[in-house]
Amino acid sequence: MATDILPSLAIPGTILGPASKYASGPGTHIYGGNIVSSLLGNVNVTAPAKAPGPTKRLNKITAPSVEELSTISVIRRGRKREVLPDVGNTVLARVVRLMPKQAIVVIQQVGDTVLQTEWQGVIRVQDVRATEQDKVKIHESFKPGDIVRAQVISLGDQANYYLSTASNELGVIMATSDVGNDMVPISWKEFKDPDTGVSEPRKVAKPS
Amino acid sequence: MADRRRVNGPGSSTLPPVYDDGELDAALRRQRAPDAIRPLYLKTGVTPSASGSAYLEIEPREGEHGSGMKLTCTVHGPRSLPRSAPFSPYMVLSTHVKFAPFATKQRRGYLRDSSEKDLSTHLETALRGALIADRWPKSGVDVVVTIIEGESTRQDAVERRVEEWDVMNVLGGCITVASAAIADAGIDCVDTVSGGVAALVASKDGKDASIVLDPVALEHESILAACCVAYLPNRDEVTNLWFKGQLPSPASCNHQSLVSRAVQASRGTHGLISASLSEAIGSTQN
Repeated sequence: MATDILPSLAIPGTILGPASKYASGPGTHIYGGNIVSSLLGNVNVTAPAKAPGPTKRLNKITAPSVEELSTISVIRRGRKREVLPDVGNTVLARVVRLMPKQAIVVIQQVGDTVLQTEWQGVIRVQDVRATEQDKVKIHESFKPGDIVRAQVISLGDQANYYLSTASNELGVIMATSDVGNDMVPISWKEFKDPDTGVSEPRKVAKPS
Repeated sequence: MADRRRVNGPGSSTLPPVYDDGELDAALRRQRAPDAIRPLYLKTGVTPSASGSAYLEIEPREGEHGSGMKLTCTVHGPRSLPRSAPFSPYMVLSTHVKFAPFATKQRRGYLRDSSEKDLSTHLETALRGALIADRWPKSGVDVVVTIIEGESTRQDAVERRVEEWDVMNVLGGCITVASAAIADAGIDCVDTVSGGVAALVASKDGKDASIVLDPVALEHESILAACCVAYLPNRDEVTNLWFKGQLPSPASCNHQSLVSRAVQASRGTHGLISASLSEAIGSTQN
């Protein structure tokens, strides 16, 4: 791969390479058959991820897929870039308010990136767990102050992202009891205060 | 007892500052070539609290302290929209252009006046054509340009009423500095937009007119028409065009040639921005 012809630095508008030879990664866009940088930063070329094991014998004539191309991306080193929650991302959020039909949360981390700004999200009662959705009570699933691992299911309306905890890995990961002690999960729907011995209902995430 | 609800004036009398303007002499004539733009200084990342920022200085004439310009731009965001805002699947851009109260000889108010609002609208159009807005759904970006020092710092500028032409240069500078600040903030753009100004100036006897790039109104006897463009060099597209003035009837120069000269000026500016931005990322690597 002729990577030596690529510029190492890019400013918005720098042409990086033909779209037939490279795939467009983060920080780039395609214009006029070329990969063009849309950010200020350093140019990275990632080789395609080769599938392990022997290659499958060709029994069909197919066009070379996009995965076979090296991906060009433009990343500014040494600078945190603001990210937005997107559909499918796993986020960490703090519960701020409970309502009978939904819980209002504030998204604080997307994947591994801590956000600079706070984005509001909502977990509706039907998105709390996958089974027996009609028996879910919001007050028995979350409490204000809990840290919840959730998945973004929609960009939602004007104010809220729609989140879901309908999976074993998703749910409350940190909770404090009424008296203010950190609690430990004891079952898939209960947290227990080790000091007072009182247990409280939650939608508990499977410990990872 | 002093009024504590308001900002009170000083107790004793003060004198307004008196600046030594110097004489408006023949030396205050354009000495650059007609197709030369003034030297620029551009630096990004000057405001740590903002997501992106830039500072632009347009050099005054050598040995003069008159017609330079100093602009600073901060970009805040992308951040969440206020609750009252309707759902938007793309980024909402808002621009604010403000003259510092001391930027021009004629003191500016603290509230935005109509010319500043006009500049904000032009800047917004210029930037909107360059941004890839759909990469940032549900978020807002504020672009704030402050003109620290305007062109018309001299008393002559007020007397000769050239401010209406200087506003073109201000817009060109605003576009350039905002583009650098947006690149610094890491907001996706299709190209680095840059501003350029060209003007049709009349000679002393008012007979033959010629086109100059990056005009300084004070350096010319009279300006007949001026044009400011926001231009994307790699795409060869103009995102914003502002034309002002009247062309003389014998078409020695048509609108198209003035626009193409303004594009040429912005190509020159673009070379300076790209050099400065490359230097900025090059220096953070070490």
